[in-house]
Amino acid sequence: MSRYAVNSLLYRLKKEPEFRARFEADAAAALAGLDLSEAERAAFVAHDMRRINELGGYLHLVMSVPGLAAH
Amino acid sequence: MGKIVFAGAMSHVLDPDYYQRACGDEGRRMVTDCMTEIARMGKRFSATGADALIVVADDHLNAFSFNAVPALCVRIGRTVQRMKQDHAEAFDAVLDHMPEQYPLHEDLANQILEQGLGSGFDLAMSWEAPVDHAFLSPVNTMHGTRPIPPLVPIWVNCFVAPQPTPKRCFDFGRHIARVVAASRWNVGIIATGGLSHFPELSLPRVGETDTVFDRKLVHWMERGEHEPLQELTVGELHKTGEHEFLNWMVLIGAITPARAQVRYFGELRRINLAAVEWSLP
Repeated sequence: MSRYAVNSLLYRLKKEPEFRARFEADAAAALAGLDLSEAERAAFVAHDMRRINELGGYLHLVMSVPGLAAH
Repeated sequence: MGKIVFAGAMSHVLDPDYYQRACGDEGRRMVTDCMTEIARMGKRFSATGADALIVVADDHLNAFSFNAVPALCVRIGRTVQRMKQDHAEAFDAVLDHMPEQYPLHEDLANQILEQGLGSGFDLAMSWEAPVDHAFLSPVNTMHGTRPIPPLVPIWVNCFVAPQPTPKRCFDFGRHIARVVAASRWNVGIIATGGLSHFPELSLPRVGETDTVFDRKLVHWMERGEHEPLQELTVGELHKTGEHEFLNWMVLIGAITPARAQVRYFGELRRINLAAVEWSLP
């Protein structure tokens, strides 16, 4: 697992509305080319914030990405 | 000769609607009571006529991205902006009604930074980082419609491991006290965050708090027993959801050996709420 890969992706999803819109439209396509493990990629495609947190995603990010946040 | 004329620490998610959603009527009532005490603290601070207010708080991965995460960072410049987040969720949404720009005390910030680098604290600096609810909820709750004095925002990395140690934060607070004492300004200082919440930063554990640990911290602060606080480890703080107590450790270092008076403590399953003020000589 890569703490940097997971969290830098969460950060982009939070801070870049255009990237977030592409992710919401087609998550797998938006993640193409990113350096993620299979588990990380699957968790993001499934919008599974609990799993993303287990994989090292910082709690405050998984709780605050607009439209995707877990509470 | 300068002086620290006010010191207080408090929880920093101060929004009745947030707690209504998270904890129902009890949450709304408790945070409203806590905010009432923080507003009273603010009136006492304003009565000091302080030249500046140092605000020690943490970044919730808003100001600093993963290209650099400073352990301790001083905000310099002349003004600071409120963080903006489109379609803000949760604790980010509480910022929406707040003023967008705040004055900074440029000279005090520069002295904390420059003298810090000269005395063994390799501080980061930022001219552009915005501030989120950790800074602005307490500041606005304290002041209401009264003018806010020039701020000196200081970030402590409370969340992204490896964090600075509680002892290091305490020592940095001692540095701040020396800078203020050698200056010509009367200064207030607040630390924000906590108390116990989000143990181990684990999503399934959101809703758990460690009240026993909170009461131990409060006991030490009330008695002015700062040695055991300096012996705390980052691991203990992580386990008990006391990550943001690192901010409080900076303040405690700045006013040691002063004793704390608890203005509010409320056990709430999402976040234990607190407002504490120190009796200064």
